[in-house]
Formats: sequence, structure tokens, C-alpha cells
Amino acid sequence: MENYIVLAISCIFVNNILLAQYLGNCPFLGTSKKMETAVGMAMAVIFVLVMAGIMAWITTNYFLKPLNLEYLTTISYILVIASLVQFVEMFLKKSIPALYSGLGIFLPLITTNCAVLGVCLINLKEDYTFLQAVVASFSYAVGYGLALVLFAGLRERINIARVPQPLQDTSLGLVTAGMLSLAFFAFKGMA
Amino acid sequence: MREMISMVVVLTVLSAVSGGMLAGVRMGTKTRIENQVLKFQKAPAIKAILKNVTNDPLKDRFNIKDKNQEVTFFLGKHDGKPTDIAFETHGQGHEGPIGLMVGIDINSDKIVGVRVTTTTETPGMGTRANGDSPFAAQFAGKPLTTVFKVKTDGGSIDVMSGATVTSRGICVAATEAKDIYMRLKPEIKKKIAKM
Amino acid sequence: MAQSIAKEFTKGLWEEIPPFRLVLGLCPTLAVTKSVDTAIGMGVGLTFVLVCSNMIISLLRKIIPDKVRIACYIVVIAAFVTVVELVMQAFTYPLYLKLGIFIPLIVVNCIVLGRAEAFAGKNPVLPSIADGLGMGIGYTLSLTALAAIRECFGAGTLLGTPVFGPWFHPFTFMVQAPGAFVCLGLMLCIMNIIGSK
Repeated sequence: MENYIVLAISCIFVNNILLAQYLGNCPFLGTSKKMETAVGMAMAVIFVLVMAGIMAWITTNYFLKPLNLEYLTTISYILVIASLVQFVEMFLKKSIPALYSGLGIFLPLITTNCAVLGVCLINLKEDYTFLQAVVASFSYAVGYGLALVLFAGLRERINIARVPQPLQDTSLGLVTAGMLSLAFFAFKGMA
Repeated sequence: MREMISMVVVLTVLSAVSGGMLAGVRMGTKTRIENQVLKFQKAPAIKAILKNVTNDPLKDRFNIKDKNQEVTFFLGKHDGKPTDIAFETHGQGHEGPIGLMVGIDINSDKIVGVRVTTTTETPGMGTRANGDSPFAAQFAGKPLTTVFKVKTDGGSIDVMSGATVTSRGICVAATEAKDIYMRLKPEIKKKIAKM
Repeated sequence: MAQSIAKEFTKGLWEEIPPFRLVLGLCPTLAVTKSVDTAIGMGVGLTFVLVCSNMIISLLRKIIPDKVRIACYIVVIAAFVTVVELVMQAFTYPLYLKLGIFIPLIVVNCIVLGRAEAFAGKNPVLPSIADGLGMGIGYTLSLTALAAIRECFGAGTLLGTPVFGPWFHPFTFMVQAPGAFVCLGLMLCIMNIIGSK
């Protein structure tokens, strides 16, 4: 039990997927201009990442490893993720329209969110057991959501400020992300 | 309906062709990749452990199937007589598996030396197990009857300060090496006799 | 014809140079620019994938049904990425170890899929190859420039050789995660200043 808590904390804070491992930056900058979209994206990522983590683990351990097809990892992971996203989208549209209206527009974006594929590959590299993989996927996703929401808060504040023209938008966004990353850097001391 | 069929057909054909192409590339690069892994990951550790051999252990290697995995053994000879073998085992560290190359003297059943091959531990902490560390030196010369455990767990190995988990992981890998060697000893002897 | 192909090629080098003008493919931009060698390795790998996938997708653009085009694109891209992965493992193993999971992650690099969707899916083969090559080289140049700055100040070296005298104390911040963000942000700002003139 203790191990899982350590793993979760390390994935959320110390090895934060966005700010320490640089994964999933495109949607990070794209959807963080408003708090509302940031929360929506964060939810969608948590949802998809946990499922993708589970599916990827099953794919590796029940198909690729027994058949010695490890070199097909990349192609099969991305197919699993793409079809998963498609499936989730259809399922939500039919069964839970309320949730779909909230998450819907973010779902197609997630296929190309490198955080999802990245976490699946990290789980593979670390050789996690099933439970570890689930905990790690969930914690990475929570870390992603946390960073996204925090960053959206900062950005909403910046929008009111007067920024020199060349620094506007993405440029200052990146510098701000750097500051946030510096704050998360302090968690390294905990390890 | 026609659209559906064409969608399925195109996707299937595309996946099959890509799969086939990759299988081809894989076949073409397989031996090269194995050699590269040997050269960059295992060779330095093997050379460091089997210092006094006169042959090239990388060339004199053989595989034995153990349970559900293949173990690769590297044979060290001295003046044409086989003296030591080295092989790799794994233990769990803080942030992932630790690979440990273990050298065993096949005549006296003693550990010749151990070396960490792959580790993802925090730089500066677990990585102290690399190279000629006093920690790794503790294993050298120990007979295989020793219980490899850190002192806090009732064993005889001093931990690296601040890196207890890594130290434990290495002990687990060393114990596994011992078990594998004991289990496969008859087969190892048979293989060596043929070489 | 030759003129338009040249145009598709050169636009990737300045007008639409990724990742500055097209803010796509940021993750590897931040992660592999700690040192120049990894940046060049990544750039070459990406260029190869971009050119090959643009070529194949452009060839197949009339056969691929519209509804599953993204899935088809991804399959083609993933296949070429795996080729790069295997070849790097076989020939430049130390580089492969350094780039780690960022090689398979080329699959989800928005630039590759973005070019497939925006260009190769609609244009003939030759311009698509030119587009891929231009974008790939532009991306490599940007990565190398960023990596040169970061390695130079962050580690005091360039391609592993020291550039400053022994008095230089490396500004480690630059090679760590926060430095990556700040450095890229400032470079974008400089590009904006140059571009607005």
C-alpha cells in the first residue's frame, strides 16, 4: 500500500508529466486560455489516460509479449488509443449526453496528445504490474490536470495585464509555464 | 454499405502492409541490434568483472532456457580453460528495474564480481552503485552459500547510505543470479564441455 | 512546376518554420534540446518520417476513405516511426538510449499529422515530398538552434566540447525543465520582433 502512495505522489508531483517530462504541451498551451476549457480538458485526459493505460498494459502483456511482437508496440499502442478515443466518444454521445457536451470537443484532440501515448510507453519501460500501471496512469493524469488548471488560473490573470506586443500569447505562455515548472521543481527534493 | 466495406478493407490492407514491412525491417536489423546492446550495455560490465580472462567472453556466449526466459551466459577462459561465467539478472529499484551483471567462478562457486548495467535511479543516489563502487566490491569473493541481504534485513551487506532501496534491489538481483546458477549448473557444465 | 515545388520547400524554412510559426510539436522541442547531438538526431528522424509519410499519404490520397483518413494516416506514420526506431537502435545505439521514449512519440508529434492532414492529403506527390523535406529541415534547424543555446549556457559545451574557459560556471537552469520553457518562450519573442519588422 505504502508503495502505491509513493508511486502516486511521485507521478503527480515529482515527475509531473507536463512540467518535468515535457509531454502533452500542445493542448496544454492551446486549452489553457480559459479556466472552463482547462477543466474540461483535464477531465477528458484523466478519463482517457486511465483507460488507455489499462488497454496498453493488456495489449503488451497478453498479445505483444507472448507473440514476440514487441517491435509493433508503437503502432499497436497508437491504434488502441485512437480506437479507444473514438469508442469513448460514441459511447458518451449515446449514453451520457451531459458529459459528452462537456468533454466532447476535447476528445478528438486527445489522440494526438503525447501525454497519453507517453504514459503508456513509460509504464512499459518501467515494467509495471497491472495495479502499478493503473495507479501510475491515474496519477500522471491527475498531475496533468493539476498543472493545466493551475496554469489556466495564471493565464486568466495575465490576460488582464498589459504585455509587450512581441511577448504576447504563446511566448509569455511558455515563460509562465517555465515559472510553474520551477515551482514543481521543488518537489524533486522530496524524492 | 459500400463505404463501410471500403473503409474496413483499406484500413486492414494498410495495417497488414505496414506490419509486413516492419517485420522485414526487424529481421534485417535484429542481429545488429543485439550486437549493439551487447557492445554498449553489457560489454563494459563483463570486461570489468572478468578481468583476468584471455578470451573474448562476448564471443564465447551461449543461451540456456530457464523457466520462461532465455538467459545468456558469457564464458571467461584462462589459457583455454573455462574459469568464470557472467550473466545478467534484474532487481527492482526506486524508479524501475536495475540490471546486474554477475560473474561466478565455476570451479569454486564463488562470486567474482558484480556490476550494475542499467539503472534509472536518481542521479547521484542509486548511480553510486555503478563502476568500481565499494558497495559492489562487497560481493566479490563471497561463496554462493552467502545470503545476500542488506544488514537491516538481517544479511551481511552494508547499504549505500541514502540508497537503501537500490541496495536491496541489487541484493535481490544477486540472489536471483545465485538461484539461476544453482538451477542451471548441470546444463551450464554440459554446454561448456561442448565449447 | 519546379517553382511551386521550390516554394513548398522554402516555406518550411522561414515563413512557416516549425515550431515557431506553427506552434506544433512542442514536446520533443523541449525534451530533446538539452544537447545539440540529441536535437540533430531527433530532427533527422522526424524529417525522415515526415518525408516518407507525406509521400505515401499523397500517393494513397484517392484511395483512403474520408471517414477513416486519420486512422490511416496514423498507421502509415507509426510504421515509419518504428522503422526509425529500429534503425537507430541498430546503428546509433547511444543516441537511441538518449532519445528514449521520444522516438516512438514522433507518432503523436502534431507536425507530422498536421502536414498529412493539411497538405499531403490534398496535394500531388512531388510538392508533398518538398513540403515534408522543408518542414523537417526547418524543424531540425529550430531544434539545433535552441539546443545550441541551452547546451552552451547550461553545460558550457557544444556537441560535447567545452566552449568557454575553465572560469565558466554552467548555468544549470537552462538544461532543466523550467529553462526549456523559458528559453523557448524568449526565442519565440525574438522571432516575433524580427518578424514584425
